[in-house]
Amino acid sequence: MTRFVLRALPIVLLVLTGPIARADDIPNNTVRLGEYWVFYHVYADDLSGPLVEPGLGSTVKNVQTPYLAYLRRLSPNFTIELAVGIPPLTKTYGKGPATVGSVPYNGEQLISARWLAPSLLLEYVFLDDSYKLRPYFGAGLNYVVFYDRNSSPAGNAVAGGPTSVSLPNSLGPAVTAGLNYQISRNWSVMASYSAARVETDSTIHTGGVNRYSHVSFGPQTLVVAAGFSF
Amino acid sequence: MYRFRGSLGVAFAAALLAACGSDSPTATPAASTAHGTLAVSPPLRVASADAATFQAQLSATASGAQLLQLTGAPTCGVDFYYIKFWTTGAAGETTESSGALMVPTGAAPACSGPRPIVLYAHGTQFEQAFNIADPTAFTTTNTEGALIAAMFAAQGYIVVAPNYAGYDISTLGYHPFLNASQQSGEMIDALTAARAALPSTFAASTTDSGKLFVTGYSEGGFVAMATERALDIAGTPPAAAAPMSGPYALEALFDAVITGDVNIGSTLFTPLVTTSYQRAYGNIYSATTDFYSATYATGIDKLMPTTVTPYTQLFEKGLLPELALFDSSTPVVPGSTQLTDLLAIPSNPANPFTPVFAAGFGSPYLINNSVRVNYTLDAVGDPDGTALGGATLAAHAPVYPLRLALYKNDMRYGSWAPSSPTLLCGGEKDPTVFFSPDTLTMAAFWSGLPLGAVTVLDVDPAAGPSGPFALIQAGFQASQTQEYEFLQSAAGGGLSAALAQQVLLQNYHGSSVPPFCALAARTFFSNL
Repeated sequence: MTRFVLRALPIVLLVLTGPIARADDIPNNTVRLGEYWVFYHVYADDLSGPLVEPGLGSTVKNVQTPYLAYLRRLSPNFTIELAVGIPPLTKTYGKGPATVGSVPYNGEQLISARWLAPSLLLEYVFLDDSYKLRPYFGAGLNYVVFYDRNSSPAGNAVAGGPTSVSLPNSLGPAVTAGLNYQISRNWSVMASYSAARVETDSTIHTGGVNRYSHVSFGPQTLVVAAGFSF
Repeated sequence: MYRFRGSLGVAFAAALLAACGSDSPTATPAASTAHGTLAVSPPLRVASADAATFQAQLSATASGAQLLQLTGAPTCGVDFYYIKFWTTGAAGETTESSGALMVPTGAAPACSGPRPIVLYAHGTQFEQAFNIADPTAFTTTNTEGALIAAMFAAQGYIVVAPNYAGYDISTLGYHPFLNASQQSGEMIDALTAARAALPSTFAASTTDSGKLFVTGYSEGGFVAMATERALDIAGTPPAAAAPMSGPYALEALFDAVITGDVNIGSTLFTPLVTTSYQRAYGNIYSATTDFYSATYATGIDKLMPTTVTPYTQLFEKGLLPELALFDSSTPVVPGSTQLTDLLAIPSNPANPFTPVFAAGFGSPYLINNSVRVNYTLDAVGDPDGTALGGATLAAHAPVYPLRLALYKNDMRYGSWAPSSPTLLCGGEKDPTVFFSPDTLTMAAFWSGLPLGAVTVLDVDPAAGPSGPFALIQAGFQASQTQEYEFLQSAAGGGLSAALAQQVLLQNYHGSSVPPFCALAARTFFSNL
């Protein structure tokens, strides 16, 4: 949160000192900078495949990352948004028995991966341009590219050796609802809450053996940002 | 997978990022498929248990607790590895095989540093998916893996145990069953691969001391002896060997079976034998119907080891008879009362095995009478040494193809004798791999060796326990008595005395004798 305040403060100051827009002079392009809070609602199938004990699940801890977006005003009430966060390092933790054999499992950080997760959303903005505070609702698609996929030493110990992780990219629906406050012609602030479906079939490669788990991350995001229109 | 059509730029950037991702490395496949090459390095550690954890895991089941009484509490923890390696089939085919590498761990002096290796050959498995490296099946299909882990690995021995070609990941399509050359070669390939794997394991401080022990049970007893022979001939004899309950004198054993001494499990063993030798020599039959009755001939050359699980479904599906190896209408050989009598259903009331033998005759049956007649003609014309009142050499030059194949794989073939201390362990009431035509034949065959070169241990002597393994013999016989009484108790099913005796006999080879012989082997090795 502190990081967000430090990043957002100069923008907010600029916003507060900017001119008010005229109704016939609305810029069509907006960029936003802010902060994402990502809350995962993970459902992961237990690991399956050869030589796997039953009951080995996983979970993911929530992350926070800067938010970037570009918006194109299509009409007074429709906007298209391309949003993307600075790819967060998402960590997967063991969920299940305390140990597998003698190897610690539950709560151990096993895998990490960065997410590049752009969303393309068509948004309906309520009210007209004369209102400073305008709620909106949007729907679209979210695409996730997983990279820098690494197994930790604890993950290697559980998996049974040096381990690589395959996480196929995910495409799923996304919805958002938010409020935008137009401070001036060029400056605005906003907050939104979004949800997306992000699912992947993870494959854990160790010692020539593959194990599998279907993971549904169910991310929900809270965004607070400032926007500059031009 | 969908495509993100809205922003080619972002998708392109994402692809770049994905391509540049520094994903963590995994094991490396070997570039070579030469036999003995470790196919994937480092190997997969399937499980890791310290001594206390392993003891707790075993104690959690009644069978595990019984096993612990014999093996003693684990001194060491055990890391279980699944190794994959390259080997060759019976016809020289390159094939990948797999197995277990069990590495002792822990702070006790016997658990790290230079440790001896036990190279172990498992008994016949009927299911193709068998994997001796699978600890998750220790209480179900892989009790043999649990036995060797507790008996050897948890007591400070590095254990190497291949699954054999034709099982698990092997795509060979058959198992070279009782093929001395192939199986000994595969054992040595597994050993070579395991030695290459050891330094890259989590327990790299446990190293190969250079002392090698070879052992195995049932089919694995045969394989262990063949491996001892191969290592000996190669000039690298093991420190000691302990083949257990193996069909060593193959010709003598099959001469007995074909002439009516039908062993328990024979309807499952026979397709393994014929397919193995057909692949190796190509002359066991022209068509499966030459050998097998029409009821079972179709597809039998690809039946075993089976993908049907549990394998007992083979009987329920009508793919194999459960007991009827031979036609209950036995052949009448014109002009030969001797042969006709030899091929009749055994009926000697003085022989306690007679009911077991007789149960092997029925209808529908597995093997054609013509096979029995032709095989027996060969056996009578060129008898095995054991049939000649004390001589122990195999037949000189059998003609019947199956008998010739058995002769070539008989451990008497080539007149080899072990140069390493060797323990032959078994039980004299074994109804599956008969003690007399196997263990006692080899003992007699090697009777000219210096005293102590070959030690024969019958864990179940009729005369009662005696000698250096008397405690093991007494333990075995006490366990038999306990089981017999348990089977007749309410908790054991309340069986009649006769039924309890039958169950005891059915369990004798597969589950009763193995832990006692394994303990004898460990005792034997520990004194060297």
